[in-house]
Amino acid sequence: MNKIRIILYDIREVLYAEFGRVFKDSTVMLIFFIAPLLYPVIFCFMYEKENVTNLPVAVVDQALCDESRRFIHKMEATPEISVEYKCPTMAEAERLMKNRDVHAIFFFPKDFSSDLAAKRTAHVAVFADMSSFYYYKAALLGSNAVLIDEMHTIQLERYAADGLTGLPAQEQMQPVVYQEITAFNPTNGYGSFLLPALIILVVHQTLFLGICLLCGDARENKRSLLVIPARLRTRCTHRVTIGRALCYLIIYTPICLSTLWFIPRMFHMPQLGNLYSILLFLLPFILAVIFFGITVGNIFVRYKVSPLLCFAFFSLILFFSTGMVWPQCNMPRFWYGFSLIFPSTPGVQGFIKISSMGASLADVRAEYIALWVQAGLYFVTASFSLRFIKRYKIFNAI
Amino acid sequence: MITNPVSRVFMRECKRLIRYPRYLVILTIGAVFSFVFFATMTDEGQPQRLPVGVVDLDGSYLSRRICHELDATPGVQVKEVFTNHMEARRAMQRGEIFAFYEIPKGTYNEVLQFHAPKFVLYNNACYLLAGTLCYKQLATMGMLAAGGVQREILRKKGYGEKAIMGLIQPVAFETRNISNPWINYGVYLMTTLIPAIIAFIALMHTGFSIVRERQRRTVKHWMKKAHGSAVYALLGKMLPYTLWYSLLALTANVVMFGFMDFPMNGSWLLMVANTILLIFASQCAACMIAGCINDPSLAMSVCTLYSAMSFSLSGFSFPIDAMPGFFQSFSWLYPIRHYFLNYTSIAINGNNLHQCWPYFCSLLAFGLLLLLGAIVLKWQVHKNTAEVERIKN
Repeated sequence: MNKIRIILYDIREVLYAEFGRVFKDSTVMLIFFIAPLLYPVIFCFMYEKENVTNLPVAVVDQALCDESRRFIHKMEATPEISVEYKCPTMAEAERLMKNRDVHAIFFFPKDFSSDLAAKRTAHVAVFADMSSFYYYKAALLGSNAVLIDEMHTIQLERYAADGLTGLPAQEQMQPVVYQEITAFNPTNGYGSFLLPALIILVVHQTLFLGICLLCGDARENKRSLLVIPARLRTRCTHRVTIGRALCYLIIYTPICLSTLWFIPRMFHMPQLGNLYSILLFLLPFILAVIFFGITVGNIFVRYKVSPLLCFAFFSLILFFSTGMVWPQCNMPRFWYGFSLIFPSTPGVQGFIKISSMGASLADVRAEYIALWVQAGLYFVTASFSLRFIKRYKIFNAI
Repeated sequence: MITNPVSRVFMRECKRLIRYPRYLVILTIGAVFSFVFFATMTDEGQPQRLPVGVVDLDGSYLSRRICHELDATPGVQVKEVFTNHMEARRAMQRGEIFAFYEIPKGTYNEVLQFHAPKFVLYNNACYLLAGTLCYKQLATMGMLAAGGVQREILRKKGYGEKAIMGLIQPVAFETRNISNPWINYGVYLMTTLIPAIIAFIALMHTGFSIVRERQRRTVKHWMKKAHGSAVYALLGKMLPYTLWYSLLALTANVVMFGFMDFPMNGSWLLMVANTILLIFASQCAACMIAGCINDPSLAMSVCTLYSAMSFSLSGFSFPIDAMPGFFQSFSWLYPIRHYFLNYTSIAINGNNLHQCWPYFCSLLAFGLLLLLGAIVLKWQVHKNTAEVERIKN
């Protein structure tokens, strides 16, 4: 009983000392409190619109017939496309495209009307600006809707010319009916796709960098052992690790709650998961990040500013490792294995599944177990790394 | 004896870098690592054989043929055939499949009776790239299947092949994707991301080198080498990094546009200038931040917080024109935004200097930030000297 009391007392001592260090350091305060609350709001505002609308396009209409004009009018009516220029020649349209005044060109050749009159397939050439995936997507999405509508109109006309009208013509035209349902992200928007992953990554990176900064600060000022109670100088490093982890956990729980629950709600992002499973899922995630940060900080970081210099640019690689952009099943096996080193990979995957797709904890079993394994593993390495530093004083670090 | 102040500071910084090459080595490895990471990751161009599912409630010859045909489509593979909707939905929630087709009961009978059966296509838009690609493949496949049924019926009615095509597809698009006809995702990603990462690293490293002067209390020595001019001091300090990181970025560009055959329709010379100016402009931003903020770790954090948004505000993923007005103006504060516009102008649209000079000018304008940083730095040095003298007296 007495021993437990001593352990708890030690942990409390470390916890208080760590709180003191966090709240005294303006840089750590900036990274722990301002960044994780500010970035999600900025990104939510940034991607508020979700999709490209009114993409400026140019039309070169050399057919000058009823059908081509109807096609252009219908394109104008789509939310994605706005016909800004009607050019007499292709050269004119190309010049506009080169100046980035338009992002797509629709070219109706001279034989467009004769092909239609002869009941052949008429062609429209589309030149898409490929500098951004979204220009291409908007141009194609808008024009495809018009194309399908226009196809049906012309098909019905042609069947009517062959004496087939009404329901039989309808059935002939559409022997199979398709219905498309876009699940979990109904607007197919960029924001709804990117933001949950980005916010988790912001939490991961701020917590990780903040911890590394604190480790570097202690090391730089030759206070690496300061947070260890005097009695424990030679053993029981796990008490120090637990005490510090508890401090970060207490700070980050409300931050996570606001960035991952309230902010997405404020910006009306799709959120299907319930708070209970999100919280249960976030616990091992935060613990894994904390122990990972302490491990890296203890072993590699010698100066306060070096983690920002050496680890910050890595965020992008972390983002692509999560498999949100390039699916995990298509990653080279080596990179897939590499991505599992970081808590962000199962963290992002699991969170998206719970929050955006409404999966239960049982559905994200694999990610949940992975996070607990990481948390356990990094707890051991964090404790041992502290012992390691104590023995060798200064390791050849950055 | 070198007398030029910029050269003197330059030599001093080079000596330092040679004596303590640790960060230079680490960051260079980081840049090369990023390049290899993205190049090997997007090797396929587009993700291939994405897993999709089919909910086969019909269990007929037709539904099984649809499964086989789906599996034969190059972009997707049928991972599993489900017997009910809930199973497929759970699989989608677990991330095992990105889309699925639901073929209702009695489909084959309805086709035989010339009634239109209804197929439902569900796709998961939470994974944007994978979801969109699966949707595209499955929708095309659906159109083709419907076209196939239509063709069979029309053939039996005695229509000729040409007339059939005219009836099935009266209008068609001929899509020409300028400069990226194979829709290679690596081209999108790497052409902007790799220079952005190297510029990020150059910014951080320049900021760090200035911050270190303050930490080691060697600002006085540094200024003395520059004959007391803060502009020369900053210029001489950033020059070794400009040279090194420009070299890295140019090598990356040569590998991408030269060896990996990414589209390059314009002048190489302009692209080289664009790359060097990107590094220079990023460093100027670092000079401004590190020059103005006295606290070393705070200055580095502000550098990080500023650069962290550069990837979003470059506009290569989500276009800047679709963002709120504030961000459209804000993006001008990021060198990578100008680099990206310039890159599309040169490499994709094949423009020459006549069209893309504004981008070069805006990159050069970042030099003003350097001046601003120099003024504040000079003022701080002046204040500190005055303080020291006051204490002495």
